[in-house]
Amino acid sequence: MPEDRSDAPARHAGPTVEVTADHAADHAAGHAADHAGIERLIDGLLPALVAKLGTLNVGELEVRQDGWRVRLQRPAGAGPAYGRRVTDRAGQRVHPGHETLGAPAPPKAAPGTTVGAAAHAGGSNGTAGSLLAAVGPGRATDYGERTEVGDREVAEAQPRPHGPIATSPAVGVFQPGSKAVGGTRVRAGDRLGVVDMLGIPQDVLAPADGIVIGVIVEAGTAVEYGQELVHIEAAGAVEAH
Amino acid sequence: MFRKILIANRGEIALRILRACRTMGIEAVVAYSEADRESLAVLLADEAICIGPADARRSYLSAPAVISAAVVTGCDAVHPGYGFLSEDETFAEVVRAHDLTFIGPPPEVLDRFASKEGTRRLLGSYGLPTIPGSVGMLRDDEHALEEAERIGYPVLIKPSAGGGGKGMRMVRTPRELESAIKVCRSEAKSAFGDDSLYLEKWLEDNRHVEVQVAVDRYGHGVHMGERDCSVQRRHQKILEEGPTPALSPAARAELCERAIHAVVAAGYENVGTLEFLVDGNGDAWFIEINCRIQVEHPVTEMLTGIDMVAMQIRIAAGEPLGFKQSDIVTRGHAIEFRINAEDPAHEFRPGAGIVERYHAPGGPGIRMDSHLYPGYEVPPYYDSLLGKLIAWGPDRPTAIERGRAALDELLVDGLTTNVEIHKALLANDTFLEGRMTTNLLDRVGSAAFLAAAARA
Repeated sequence: MPEDRSDAPARHAGPTVEVTADHAADHAAGHAADHAGIERLIDGLLPALVAKLGTLNVGELEVRQDGWRVRLQRPAGAGPAYGRRVTDRAGQRVHPGHETLGAPAPPKAAPGTTVGAAAHAGGSNGTAGSLLAAVGPGRATDYGERTEVGDREVAEAQPRPHGPIATSPAVGVFQPGSKAVGGTRVRAGDRLGVVDMLGIPQDVLAPADGIVIGVIVEAGTAVEYGQELVHIEAAGAVEAH
Repeated sequence: MFRKILIANRGEIALRILRACRTMGIEAVVAYSEADRESLAVLLADEAICIGPADARRSYLSAPAVISAAVVTGCDAVHPGYGFLSEDETFAEVVRAHDLTFIGPPPEVLDRFASKEGTRRLLGSYGLPTIPGSVGMLRDDEHALEEAERIGYPVLIKPSAGGGGKGMRMVRTPRELESAIKVCRSEAKSAFGDDSLYLEKWLEDNRHVEVQVAVDRYGHGVHMGERDCSVQRRHQKILEEGPTPALSPAARAELCERAIHAVVAAGYENVGTLEFLVDGNGDAWFIEINCRIQVEHPVTEMLTGIDMVAMQIRIAAGEPLGFKQSDIVTRGHAIEFRINAEDPAHEFRPGAGIVERYHAPGGPGIRMDSHLYPGYEVPPYYDSLLGKLIAWGPDRPTAIERGRAALDELLVDGLTTNVEIHKALLANDTFLEGRMTTNLLDRVGSAAFLAAAARA
């Protein structure tokens, strides 16, 4: 049911990442170069940028490099309510049940050639679990929803990147650890922080090897069981391209 | 009064508590497991919080998860509903240690009534005739055999914790006792996390009659009449009604007055139910007390017009009852049909799946308490109760007529339900004449019962 979907922008308040290649109109020529660009971005630039955005008090950050433009944007209304999942629903659901009992609103992929994890709006459904899920010039955001003719082969040739997410093991208060910093390389099972459940710390563990992309929830925030806390880009995901 | 209540339960009772909170102007937070993310209570709630995975031991039965959820959402009270942690005195104690109020009897009251065997003795000392049973918990098989011999066969093996017929077996011989006791222990262990068992004398052809009571913190207590829960399948209630057709008005009044006198004297607090077995002579024997709101509470609500969940919340908040026994007037007759996801054609095997279409019946005197909606997927992890259909009428025949029409109108597509057994009951002479005993279905077997109804 749609409860997650309607609430998604506020409840899964990760930054929006937008990556644009200036030569996006010329697919064939730009393809190889794009891939190299994507890999560079994933490895070097993005984690640092996400971390930077996390520490700056700005809503948006844009960087240009080699014909690529990377823009990170905090979700609307994030600010202090960032990642507040359990307590921010009351205000949103003035008409209880109306939106939730209706037909599920499918997550909308941003159309056009500018792509990004705007699909993150539907992140909780697993349509675009990772911030980097849709990086690449001229590609539709949501592989499940793409309708552009001619892109099919490309879609199938490219494995859909998955970004592992460390989730909350308990209901309590989240405290990130020293490894929960953008750009940090982690191994599966590393402790990224704890959720304090009535004074009993429950470990938040990295679900896979990779690089920390960003922490979704601020320190000291109340979190529920299974809530997404830390985004990781899997170590294998880059090679898969 | 409380500002914000955590509802630590699921299904129809979570919805029922949410509705009570709404009418009282109290905020409510629904605590849910991952399997209940799309349950109606969660969808309708102002606020909801996932407390753990589908496995109830890590969600609805996890005291730390429930209390942590109440703390982080800023609640000042926890409503446990029925089942799960609703009668767990340790949980109630920990709730209080976190400056929260447990909506139910205070921990020390739960503790006093925690042992079913001890409660029998306690209330016996305040004038209730109690069913003969084992002294203390059964230590081992040898002890069980000795006690059964002393009480006299047949005996009923019962778990000390919980209810709902789990871990319960009636045995007629020492040999049956020895084999059944192992099954009961394991059932009780998995259902309640406690495998303590005791024995009770089994009365043939008994009726199950229970008295609803409410006692405030200041010792003012009222009874709200009784309910007859004799229609059972393997010790699980499937239909409840009130008043009981088993007793005369005078006998009912006497039973209810003795019950309220005994529990007030014994220091009970909040809503509770005293269960009795009524034998063929019309004598009532106290068996146990349920220190919680019960599944069948709507029967009493229909008869008295009192919102029992709201009353339970008010008592827990320390408010006085605000009315006297003479203010309670019961009107007419009410029958509750438990609608379960069970297949009567296959040994009442519980089912799960997606509700494709759903229609709740209506009309005068009809109430449907259910968490179903079209498209809802009933998870396989919990009990099979889909809802309760309650039919009220100025008299029993009218309530039966209305119940019959409502059962025909009820539509639950996509799941197999036990509606057929209710229809069969409403065609059964023993039931229609109000002569049913707890073995009505089990004596012939439910399949034979259904077949007989089909022929009729």
